[in-house]
Amino acid sequence: MLSVLIWLPMVGAAVIGFLPQSVPTKQVRNAALAVSGVVLLWTIWLFTQFDLADAGLQFREYLPWIETLGMNYELAMDGLALVLVGLNSILTFIALLSSSEKTERPRLFYSMILLVCGGVAGAFLAQNLLLFFLFYELELVPFYLLISIWGGAKRGYAAVKFLIYTAISGALILAGFLGLVWLTGNSDFSYEAALGQKLPIELQVVLLGVLLVGFGIKIPLVPFHTWLPDTYVEASAPIAILLGGVLAKLGAYGVIRFGLGLFPDAWSKLAPLLATWAAISILYGAMAAIAQKDIKRMVAYSSIGHMGYILLGAAALTPLALVGSVSQMVAHGLILAILFHLVGVIEQKVGSRELDVLNGLLNPIRGLSSISSLLILGAMASAGIPGLAGFVAEFLIFQGSYSTFPIQTLVGVVGTGLTAVYFVILLNRTCFGRLDNATAYYPRVLFEDRLPALILAGLIIFLGVQPNWLVRWSEASSTAMVAAAPAIEQVEQVAVQATANPELPTLD
Amino acid sequence: MTATLIPPSTTKLPPSTHEFAEIVHRLEAGGAMLPDTPENLMQIIGLYKAYAVPMDFYWRDLLYIAEQVFLNPLPFFKYFISDEYLRRQNHYAGDNADLRIWRGTGSAHPELLEFMEKGELKQKLPKLLHHWYHDRINMEFAEECMRAMLWHGRDMGMGKFDAYLDSEEYQQNADRAIKAYFKGNPLMLGLYKAFPDMFLEQVRQMSYYANLGLFWEVMAPVFFEMSDLYDEGKIASVPDAMNFLVNGIFAIAGRPIYHHVYINGECYEIIPKSKGFMWLYEAALPYVEAVFYRTSPFRGTKSYNAQAGQVPAEQKDFHYGVLYADKFPVGTAGIPPTLLAQDMLHFLPPYLVEYYKQHCRGEDDMLIQLAISFQRSMYCVTSAVIQALRTALLYPLDDPNPEHLMANRRFFEAQLDRFKRPEARLRNIQSPDYR
Repeated sequence: MLSVLIWLPMVGAAVIGFLPQSVPTKQVRNAALAVSGVVLLWTIWLFTQFDLADAGLQFREYLPWIETLGMNYELAMDGLALVLVGLNSILTFIALLSSSEKTERPRLFYSMILLVCGGVAGAFLAQNLLLFFLFYELELVPFYLLISIWGGAKRGYAAVKFLIYTAISGALILAGFLGLVWLTGNSDFSYEAALGQKLPIELQVVLLGVLLVGFGIKIPLVPFHTWLPDTYVEASAPIAILLGGVLAKLGAYGVIRFGLGLFPDAWSKLAPLLATWAAISILYGAMAAIAQKDIKRMVAYSSIGHMGYILLGAAALTPLALVGSVSQMVAHGLILAILFHLVGVIEQKVGSRELDVLNGLLNPIRGLSSISSLLILGAMASAGIPGLAGFVAEFLIFQGSYSTFPIQTLVGVVGTGLTAVYFVILLNRTCFGRLDNATAYYPRVLFEDRLPALILAGLIIFLGVQPNWLVRWSEASSTAMVAAAPAIEQVEQVAVQATANPELPTLD
Repeated sequence: MTATLIPPSTTKLPPSTHEFAEIVHRLEAGGAMLPDTPENLMQIIGLYKAYAVPMDFYWRDLLYIAEQVFLNPLPFFKYFISDEYLRRQNHYAGDNADLRIWRGTGSAHPELLEFMEKGELKQKLPKLLHHWYHDRINMEFAEECMRAMLWHGRDMGMGKFDAYLDSEEYQQNADRAIKAYFKGNPLMLGLYKAFPDMFLEQVRQMSYYANLGLFWEVMAPVFFEMSDLYDEGKIASVPDAMNFLVNGIFAIAGRPIYHHVYINGECYEIIPKSKGFMWLYEAALPYVEAVFYRTSPFRGTKSYNAQAGQVPAEQKDFHYGVLYADKFPVGTAGIPPTLLAQDMLHFLPPYLVEYYKQHCRGEDDMLIQLAISFQRSMYCVTSAVIQALRTALLYPLDDPNPEHLMANRRFFEAQLDRFKRPEARLRNIQSPDYR
């Protein structure tokens, strides 16, 4: 059942890639949308079949592959993977909707997007470390091409930067996986086999550190973030949606699944450091966003801040905070997608992303009033206004992490306030004010320009007023994952006891 | 009603060095501030027609309010004009006209009557539902113009009409009308005794209702006739259109401006015709100054403008009128230009609808496109007023005396100085791309 999510888009990508040149761009786009639509429907069906009470892995698939290497085709999903697969399916569909009907080299473009969809789904579903790594690396090539061919003026630079950072990320993750399996003396790269390893805590900390840096590049966390602004800004809107909405989540998923999941003891030990790291990322992202003059770059920096919340929730190691983190992945994916799409429409219609140029877009007739209204909604959701999905996720994280890390949580709350600051700047300059008579002869906004944002806005509002539909899927898995890790205080206590009462040699 | 202004010999004067030298030369040649192009002509005539139909309602309702509704403290139905006023014969149209400017009917325009019956919805519903849905002629714009005239009246230093509103004679006339209107109503009479100035100010406002109503009673048939002449090919250029307006202005310049109120069938002359207030000096010129040049920031934006220090301290420095207005906010709910644009939208001639469909966002931003055409057409009307003033106060354009021509030039340059302000749209309307 789960293989469909991987292989259907990949087969679709192959078919679309080999369509004859005579097929018009619109038909190619429709074909990609059809494939993505089927994947989305399949995902919805999986949601209906998912057992909420079961914290373990469901829908298992196993196929022996290269057994001598310990690499087998093992797929399964728990609540964490389920919501992220759902996010991947919906955002791929949205990205395709967001793409222009006049895209150049459409066969390659749409097949690459479907390849990303299949690769990311494979990474979320893989229950074998090497299989995960394979899928994790698989999406690197299509993303590189999508940025370097269909990107902005500095696309070449951005694509190479992305490639270098992501390759280093992959190398570190592979090193972490190999280290874990070799040091435990295991010959199987199965995820379940790696669970419950008994490595010394120091070794665990080192391996966790390697994985954290590897996935931290992908999320990205400060100071491994420098590829993000260039890549997000240079990528076209649909690709930015996939980069911020899906790829970054793959990094966050890796941190939780492999960092917390495989090294719970080390995680508890490093938790205060991780929470502080998260707080720094939150503040840095927000401050950097405030300083931007380019609205796409502003949204890109906001992503750094918001990904910090995910780490904060995961570091707190409470079921509530971890559910909040998972919810934040979904909420942030949807919110970032709507923001990138709307910024893309504004850039396409107005021809600029500069705060100093944009003005008065809320003008009811000559402006982009519907796009501006949706932008306000997206900004409100990002700033954590109640009634929208962003609030639910951030509230759960703060509620869950305050007891463990009050200072870092308060810094996070300040970060939310700063989010409101830069979005007010963005909205005030872009949407309000006077439309410039000399230049404001923008093309009209079509329904297809609004459609992706309307779908996303509907989801953001729905999940905001019905938060149960956001959190229910991952509750059991998150609780189980937290239960497997020792409490943070307990680890510290054990460490203190170990120092105070060193084992004495037994006297015969 | 046609006349031709003779182009002067341009060799008698050196070229103007004014910022708008090209426009000065055009005015000296008998042209308008608006460039003479077929596209401009089509826009301004089409707009005159679209403006004239709601204007036919405006003047009737303004007079209905001034003469019948008067000081009704709860004037909920002041826009529900009586049949008497819809049938009222225009003095400048129809078979019984004093001076027949338009060849059409003297009662309400057929397109207006058709619209009033079913509205934009094309469905006959109770009047109140059409009203609440704004599926009607929006008198709010007309009242905003009236208020602009009232508000700027003191400060404009024009004519004698406004000064008369402060005279003892006017107060006595108003007092008689107020007492007759509230006869048998001790509450209102008691309030009148307690706050006489408030009631008097309301009567002054009613006098401006009458003033504007009488002004537009003339302009509606002028615009209808221009539209018909254009359709017949008899107005073929922007100067033709302007000359028609100039001749019209002189033909009806002496039309009396008055204010009568009818209470229980009896007429109370608050401003009698015998005062000799003339249409040109007491209505047309104050209207142009108050509405075309000054007005005020849009309702709802005033406080914001004031907070931003954008509202001048002196009323005479106000330049928010149609010649200066930013038309891009048209479409924003509730502001008078939006309401006017919506009124005109219902009566656009088909050729203009087709024209708008081909530009900018087509039907989606037709309100702004027509508002900008309206701005062009009002520059043409203002040109006519400037030429009329030059005719009245200075010299012919073909005067052989260079000193006289220089005096004309100084006059034109002084008029154009008012458009040096950055917000003036004179520069914009020179280009066909300003839409």
